[in-house]
Amino acid sequence: MNAEISKPGSEFALAPRPMTRERMRWYVDAQPTIAADDGRIHTQEPTIHDDDDYARRQGLPGIIADGMISTNWILGLLIDVYGEGVAGRCRLRTKYVAPIYEDQTVITRARVVDVAPAGDGLRACRLDVWCEDDTGTKLTVGEATVYL
Amino acid sequence: MATGGVVSDLDKGDVLGPVEYTLSPFVVREYSHAVEMHHPCFQGRQGDLVMPPTLIHLDKLRLYRHACPGGTGASARIHFEYDAEVFEAVRVGDRLSVRGEITDRYAKNGREYAVLEMKLTNVDTGRLVMRYLDRVILAYRSASRAA
Repeated sequence: MNAEISKPGSEFALAPRPMTRERMRWYVDAQPTIAADDGRIHTQEPTIHDDDDYARRQGLPGIIADGMISTNWILGLLIDVYGEGVAGRCRLRTKYVAPIYEDQTVITRARVVDVAPAGDGLRACRLDVWCEDDTGTKLTVGEATVYL
Repeated sequence: MATGGVVSDLDKGDVLGPVEYTLSPFVVREYSHAVEMHHPCFQGRQGDLVMPPTLIHLDKLRLYRHACPGGTGASARIHFEYDAEVFEAVRVGDRLSVRGEITDRYAKNGREYAVLEMKLTNVDTGRLVMRYLDRVILAYRSASRAA
């Protein structure tokens, strides 16, 4: 195992991603498609994530990303670093502290806080996790525990 | 009791579900693809696939559809917090039961919040495989900070 992944202070990041209109819509379309579970694409009524007029009627300046996109990018980073076992045992908590607008750059990051025995020969690795824009403003914040 | 109507009417103590379903490979691959998680455990062959923990967010929508046939309500709902703990891997083909309860509804800074706590159980083993807490802002119109 790479010692860096359990060293307090170690930091990991995904390459910056623009939050494009398509990325927002992929999550919108996934919802009815998964609900139908018939192998075909399905769409839904306008949402604040894919329809500017609807978003403006809800008091927003335009479409914003579903928070779960950033949560999933954080989960993806944890799996990149710690492996697929993360999907079978972990804790992940995220809060969406600022809207993510169309074409805003998003950088997904994680930093090891500490590692402690967790029983059964496992160690619990606690991390701060977050997404920030290209000015360093945090958009999504949270914490995670993965088991090593 | 506010089930049977719209999501924005849900109130503390309301119970959603339980709803049973079988996890399909299509669901795992489609969700993972939508959020660009291209790991083999999510996008590989059927026998290798496990549920992305974040997929429980769509179980919330499954419960909403079951409990609130009237839909969202007058205003858009904004997701504010995701908090999930996974106790064991959930695999394609597993028979699952999801149940939710509104454990809090409160006003803060002029916005209405609701907290939904959910439990995902493997029907065959009876074991709790995930627990999830979801906090939403029920009406966004006056909000300016949350996503």
